Amino acid sequence: MNNENIIEIHKLKKSYDKGKIKALNGIDLEIKKGEFVSIIGPSGSGKSTLLNMLGALDTADEGTINVAGVDLTKSRDLSQFRSKEIGFVFQLHNLIPNLTVLENVQIPMLETPLSSEKREERAMELLKSVQLEDKINQRPTKLSGGQRQRVAIARALVNHPSIVLADEPTGSLDSKTGDIILDLLKDLHKKENVTLVMVTHEPYVANLAERSITVKDGKIIEEKINT
Amino acid sequence: MNYLGLILKNPFRNKTRASLAIVGIAIGIATIVALGLVTSALQSSTETTLKAGQAEITVMTNGSNSFQSSADLNLTQLDNVKAISGVKDATGVLTERVNLNSSSSSSQGFGPSGFSVTGIDSSKLTLAGINASSINGTIYSGSANEIIIGKTAAANQNKTIGDTVTLYNQTFKIVGIYETGSFMTDGGAYMSLSKLQNLTSNSNKISNILVKVNANANVTQVSQEITDTYPDLATTTALDQAKMVNNLLSVVNTATWAISLLAIVIGGVGVINTMIMSVYERTREIGVLKAVGWTSKRILGMILGESIVITLTAAVVGTIVGTVLVEGGLMIYGITALKPVFTLDLFVRAFGVALLVGVIGGIYPAYRASRLAPTEALRYE
Repeated sequence: MNNENIIEIHKLKKSYDKGKIKALNGIDLEIKKGEFVSIIGPSGSGKSTLLNMLGALDTADEGTINVAGVDLTKSRDLSQFRSKEIGFVFQLHNLIPNLTVLENVQIPMLETPLSSEKREERAMELLKSVQLEDKINQRPTKLSGGQRQRVAIARALVNHPSIVLADEPTGSLDSKTGDIILDLLKDLHKKENVTLVMVTHEPYVANLAERSITVKDGKIIEEKINT
Repeated sequence: MNYLGLILKNPFRNKTRASLAIVGIAIGIATIVALGLVTSALQSSTETTLKAGQAEITVMTNGSNSFQSSADLNLTQLDNVKAISGVKDATGVLTERVNLNSSSSSSQGFGPSGFSVTGIDSSKLTLAGINASSINGTIYSGSANEIIIGKTAAANQNKTIGDTVTLYNQTFKIVGIYETGSFMTDGGAYMSLSKLQNLTSNSNKISNILVKVNANANVTQVSQEITDTYPDLATTTALDQAKMVNNLLSVVNTATWAISLLAIVIGGVGVINTMIMSVYERTREIGVLKAVGWTSKRILGMILGESIVITLTAAVVGTIVGTVLVEGGLMIYGITALKPVFTLDLFVRAFGVALLVGVIGGIYPAYRASRLAPTEALRYE
């Protein structure tokens, strides 16, 4: 694996329904450390499947997938890999409703040996970064959609992941709030020095990334460097 | 916030559903605790009765029993029993069930037919299990209209030393109140044997003979000899009585276990239902937990833990309710002689049942949650 690359995918294939639905049909992709890459494509093109493969949420049928030095086709302890290396931001924030903002951000850290003081300290640091330090004791139901997504971003970054995978992070937000979230993601990507891979179906959002990859019918049909 | 805190918090997200599950299991636990307390109280009282009863053998007419006797023995038979080898002392007693004066007819001693009055020579009271030290006041005299009553009877009839009771149209002065710890003995009264014989027209007649054996004699052998020598007599020993009561208590005990089993089954089904609903509702959340790195084992532990939190909460509620029911019931009915015994065994059983229900009810939903595929869980609507 090239030292500069954090993600290397070779001839990746994935199908569902006993091979009837070919979600990924031979993907080759390399992503450098610290890069911001967007994956764009129509519904059913396989972009979310690709993201799930990168995050070790799903397994490949064929091909190799190496992320942060871990061969995901061979590794058995994928939970630990996800805990250490990956931060997820979903279209829907998926926060736990009975926990406060501060507690929600700490959830991924419960798998780590950190003391509760350290966990709280780290969660507070990130909540300040997303400007929600005044909402730490609120429940997600009391927050706006944008605020919830900011909590989700803080949660994704809390374990110092090397890669953040964002699946349509602005998909459920109005355009103004969406812009704020995208700015925040870009800022944190630089500040926290993480690789950011974002799936979207909006060209405008995809163009914010340093590189855009277009996926269709389970294949990469175009790669573009954005200026 | 920590993992344990999360487990303690999660079950109460849906308060109505958690409360209903808790109530269901708490009813079972309360029944187990209440029955256990009553059984232990009866057991303890029985043990006290047997220890306090100085006579080891009770003699009665063949065909009757020691608890319900009629005056069909006579003093000659008493002398015959006294002559049996190994008998240290023996005395005749006459037991009658009476209603007190009409104003207290609603208050009853032990038993359905009223108040139990036993006639016994005052010098032989120890044979009936009443020592001088257990009497507050004095012992009745043979000549005057005097009576001693048990603590429970005194409480039931609202009587104290110096008060009077009317028996067979005669007024008797209460000169002492005794306490033996036996709810049967403490629910009755004792008076002069000759007085009771006269009042009930049972001159020279007795209903039972209480026999004290020599220290070196074998109770069973003496008992056997009495019935062998006098086939018209029957005997019961303290051991027989203990066995009889224990048989009765073992039936109650078996019933308690059967209820425990029922509580496990019904409670288990209720908990499975509650937890499966909870897992369904939180499918997406479980997907998120997997996505952020939680292991399947940790998710299994969380759901199982939540199930156990529900059932242990039910155990606390059930134990309190069961205890309050028994204590309150005894207080309302004025049964002071029965004292519930709070044994560790009973609480271990109650909490053990709750824990078992928690594990049985939680294991399947927890397993399902832990096996959820993260991608499918995250897509769940």
